[in-house]
Amino acid sequence: MRLGIGIFGMQSVPQRPDHHVKLYRDLLEDAELAESLGFDSIWLSEHHFWFDGYCPSDLAAAGAILGRTSKLGVGTAVMLLPMHPAARVGADAATLSRLGEGRLSLGVALGYREPEFDGFGLRRKDRGKLMDALLPELAALCAVARPAVPIYVGVATAVAAQRAGRLGLPLFADSTMNPDELREMLAAYDAAREAAGMPAPATHALQRDVFVTDDPDRDWAMLFPELRYMRRQYGAWSFPQAVGEDVAGYRERLEADIEAKLKNLIFGPALEVEGRLHEFEALGFGLIVCRSQFGNLPRPALHRAMEGLGRLAR
Amino acid sequence: MRLGLGPVALTSAAQVRALAEAATASSFDCVWVDGTPAAAAMVAQWTPVRVGAVVDVGLHHPLHLAEDIAVADLTCAGRLEVLLRPAHDDPGVVKEHMHVLTAALSGAHIQWEGLHLRVPGRLADNGPVPQRLALNPRPAQPAVPIWVLDDQSEWAGVADPLGFGMASRWHHGLTFGAARSRLPRAVLCPNTVEAGELIEAAGDQAGYFIVEAGTPVEVRTAGRRLAGPLRMPGFPGWVNE
Repeated sequence: MRLGIGIFGMQSVPQRPDHHVKLYRDLLEDAELAESLGFDSIWLSEHHFWFDGYCPSDLAAAGAILGRTSKLGVGTAVMLLPMHPAARVGADAATLSRLGEGRLSLGVALGYREPEFDGFGLRRKDRGKLMDALLPELAALCAVARPAVPIYVGVATAVAAQRAGRLGLPLFADSTMNPDELREMLAAYDAAREAAGMPAPATHALQRDVFVTDDPDRDWAMLFPELRYMRRQYGAWSFPQAVGEDVAGYRERLEADIEAKLKNLIFGPALEVEGRLHEFEALGFGLIVCRSQFGNLPRPALHRAMEGLGRLAR
Repeated sequence: MRLGLGPVALTSAAQVRALAEAATASSFDCVWVDGTPAAAAMVAQWTPVRVGAVVDVGLHHPLHLAEDIAVADLTCAGRLEVLLRPAHDDPGVVKEHMHVLTAALSGAHIQWEGLHLRVPGRLADNGPVPQRLALNPRPAQPAVPIWVLDDQSEWAGVADPLGFGMASRWHHGLTFGAARSRLPRAVLCPNTVEAGELIEAAGDQAGYFIVEAGTPVEVRTAGRRLAGPLRMPGFPGWVNE
């Protein structure tokens, strides 16, 4: 089992509104720590036009990490492909793969937040069609890059898994899916892949929210407000406040979603976490990208969690 | 006067890194790469001096370029420079892209209504969306230095009001003319240029000479030949002997 660490968005969150110069300096230090701890890879996330300055250019951040480190893989988790020209991404990825000596991977997915599509003059409802057109083009460009750039397709639904299956591309499964949902999705993927006559990929990747702690009481008190911020943010993007919906009712709706999503968090001592991760490995996920950074955690807490998880990575 | 190396071809990490380290050790002000801000962000980790990216403008959405520039500039704590290479047949498209790029990098809450671009799209199919948008995060520098490659003097009318500097390729007989920007005129030079001809071309103005070199030895030789004379009138040549 390969372990990646993530998901870094360099967010200047309300509870810790660091300047972005510091956040990107922290990222490079965290990448060096991840490399020294033996992680397979570090993963970056992308969003656009948001008040906390969520990283909008994963490849620029990836370039800096590849320059700072020498062995660590760097991946996007995930790039919102329908918003990008495939030719541009493919050319940039090929350059970074060449200079980074094959350490770049691209996770790509649909995206969902309307203001992001609108910012680039795109209709959200076209995202599936755009993905259908862009993904094969990007896959072809990444296959001929030297070294080739691995592509993982971010999925949270069977439809998305079938799209990846038709192209024979490995999955990057969403952190909110439980084992039963993952099994169903893998079955849909395999059926589509076999129907298209594509060979099985070597492995799939899975994103999980993971926090290793030797003091659960202390760390839960620290972690919960950060998790709540992150889940509120994603929740607000997925299902924005409806026209006419009052703020109190809307926040209640968001809280219900937060409770549901937190059930998938793996939180505890290293040995317990290791056992849970092996369960996912057994499903067919040979690369597990552990999200231990939620927004902008206090650095000592993040580093403790990384060091605990790093013992498993080694 | 300023001295840059490049644009360096992005062949391999070892080669680019060796050139960047030679430039740092030879008093160059900046290492330019023939590639995007992502590649420049990587090279910035190999040198403490400034880094430059030579990028096409007009091909892809300018907000993507603005975002790349902002993040790359943040990763190197404000050491990024950019040379725009107009890359669309229609000058109107390039012009609009330059305007939106500049507005986005400024941090303004923008709403652009042009012939070729509408930012944000404000598309009816997208439901209620903000009528303006802002680039966030912004670059580390208050204004990232940007030049426009302009061999035919087509772009000065667009570049000047936007605060861009002008850049051209070196040719014998080049003269700078009147200063138009707070940025020095940039000139892409072959490795064979001599300090005297560059100083003569600049006249009373500052110049930014970006010199090609393919090996660390060429970098060191160019630095030794050019850095001293460009920086101080009456440079005593015997210092280099």
